[in-house]
Amino acid sequence: MESLNATSAAGVLLDLCGVLMLLGAFACLGSKLFNRYVVYYGLQSVVLSAATGVVAFHFARIELWVLCVLTLLIKGIAIPTATRRLLIALELKRDVAVSTGLSTALILGGGLTAFAYLVIRPDLLPHGVVASAVVPLSTAIVLLGALEMVLRRHTIAQLIGWLIVENGVFLGAITLVATFPFIVEAGIFLDLVAGVLIMVVFVSGLTRELAHANASELRELRG
Amino acid sequence: MTTILILLAVLPLAGTVAAVLGAAARAAGYAAVAGAVAALALATYVLVRTTTEGPSQALAGFIYVDELSGFFLFTVALVVLLASLGSAAYLRVEEHTGTLSRFQVRLYFGFFGAFASLMLASLTTGNLGMLFVLIEASTLASAALVGLEARSTSLEAAWKYIIISSLGVTIALVGTLFLFYSATGLHLSANQGLTWPYLFHHAGALAPASLRLAFLLAVIGYGTKVGLAPMHTWLPDAHSEAPSPASAMLSAALLNTGMYAIIRFLALARVGLGDAYVQRVMLVFGFGSVIIGVLFMVHRGNFKRLFAYSSVEHMGIIAIALGFGGPLGMYGALLHTLNHAVGKSVLFISSGDVVLGYRTRDARRLHGLLGSLPLTGGVLLLGSLAILGSPPFGLFLSEFTIIRAGFASGSGWLPALLLLFLAIAFIAFARTTTGMVLGRADTSPQATYSGAERVLAVAPLVLGIGVLLLLGLWIPSGLNQAILASIGAAT
Repeated sequence: MESLNATSAAGVLLDLCGVLMLLGAFACLGSKLFNRYVVYYGLQSVVLSAATGVVAFHFARIELWVLCVLTLLIKGIAIPTATRRLLIALELKRDVAVSTGLSTALILGGGLTAFAYLVIRPDLLPHGVVASAVVPLSTAIVLLGALEMVLRRHTIAQLIGWLIVENGVFLGAITLVATFPFIVEAGIFLDLVAGVLIMVVFVSGLTRELAHANASELRELRG
Repeated sequence: MTTILILLAVLPLAGTVAAVLGAAARAAGYAAVAGAVAALALATYVLVRTTTEGPSQALAGFIYVDELSGFFLFTVALVVLLASLGSAAYLRVEEHTGTLSRFQVRLYFGFFGAFASLMLASLTTGNLGMLFVLIEASTLASAALVGLEARSTSLEAAWKYIIISSLGVTIALVGTLFLFYSATGLHLSANQGLTWPYLFHHAGALAPASLRLAFLLAVIGYGTKVGLAPMHTWLPDAHSEAPSPASAMLSAALLNTGMYAIIRFLALARVGLGDAYVQRVMLVFGFGSVIIGVLFMVHRGNFKRLFAYSSVEHMGIIAIALGFGGPLGMYGALLHTLNHAVGKSVLFISSGDVVLGYRTRDARRLHGLLGSLPLTGGVLLLGSLAILGSPPFGLFLSEFTIIRAGFASGSGWLPALLLLFLAIAFIAFARTTTGMVLGRADTSPQATYSGAERVLAVAPLVLGIGVLLLLGLWIPSGLNQAILASIGAAT
């Protein structure tokens, strides 16, 4: 398969998109306001859509253009809008269900980013292709999303964490294997899953249940 | 063959269709049972056919069955039948005692059918991308079952299950990506690069560095669904909060489907990377799960959680068997998969009868079930002995095979360690269940089965114990051949 060269214009753009998305993930991790989570996630998705567009343009692949448009419409617009409605309906502002302070979270995030660079060692990806620069970034985004899911106990924060993981996976997918045949289907499917999750939070009023549940009520689920 | 496979995956939807059309527990239950019986018949046919004639595929590998999928299809279809029988009885009682509304009952059968159908479908595909989609979809269907009773604990359990499993399966998708990447150097078409038989044919030529990462990510990702420690945290909550027949499906069918996905990746990795790496990964996760599972079994409390931790332990044992490897290890792993599936279905379904009778999941409040609910109590006792690996039940034989495989693999202390933990598990588990079953009953059960419900409730228990006993005393030559053929398909 043809690979993107790191020094080509497309390669540089893709690299930039990766860095911006990593910043978005860090911004989410460093915030305590639900609104901010949604905004940062939305921006990150728009950047992902741009990155997909760059790859689609470079390889002239129609299914990647489809993915680019879908990412913009669903992840960039629909999911943030729906989540924002959810926040208004449930009157959520500040996320108090955080396990660690913000500075600890950011330090852990930095550690995970370093770890991502350690894991994606040179023998995995050839030098000179843009994937060797972007795949560590996408791995770091995946890890930061997972960290957000671990550190935040609120369902919406966990949902956003999972969506960030998904963004990281797709950034890695389009750079590593642009010919991956299942990419559009997998993307649509995961968006469906996200939609179901949002509905679950909304319909069941789970948010209320969890936000108000204290340790004694959850005693049954220990051990 | 293609028609049969599609039919096999669609048949369990009979219960779903009945529920959508507005049937009550009675009719939907019968529909689910009828679908499950037909599915088991077809699965048996597929097992025989693949064992004698080898793999077959259609639709560019989107439909692919070989001996291994045949074996897992049979196991899962058997569990679906046991759980459908259990559901038909359990939900009828829940409906007329008013614990669940009619809508909830319809919801249950609707998602139960979809869950079963998605699991069977995921065993009939050779496309690893499709496998990811079907397994994740089965998470959604089963999460609805976990949260069905809509208490705050069951909603919490359902959320925990869905979010952890989704994260896990997304990681498995990354593994699939790296696997595809490792095949980009070969001249396979894009679709073939995701289709298992082609990948397996070229497994020796896959790029080792990315194959290694792909295998590890797949074990972590699908291992989340299997309940390998430390990704098992959703499992005890989900198993204890779901209605009991649904817990049986989770423990005996869903976990096995995840294990099946791991075995597919393992087969590729074993050829591409050699034994040492695969062995190390599987043994680390396997022993981790056994140790965590056994330690949490010591706590005496919710008996459904106890069974759930026992599932973690048994999945660990299967992972260890896969790690020991060799024909003996593989044989033990597959035989243990079947035995554990049947044994755990029996335990969870009988635990459903206890929950219906006493409305508690706390083992400390239950005594003398043998007197008050003789059949359930008896089955609970026999089932516990079976799941703990006492002779003459099937699990004794499969655990014995696995220990032998361990010694044969050249390591003395690993199988010895496994034996030690099996002994601790025996004490911990039996302490709780004998306390429930033996002694003098303080109270009599509230709701019990009557009429046709009784037949539906007893059937899976008797059938399951019968199968366990049979497999302990004698492995039918057809099954033996099927297992040997499955080993051949994945090595």
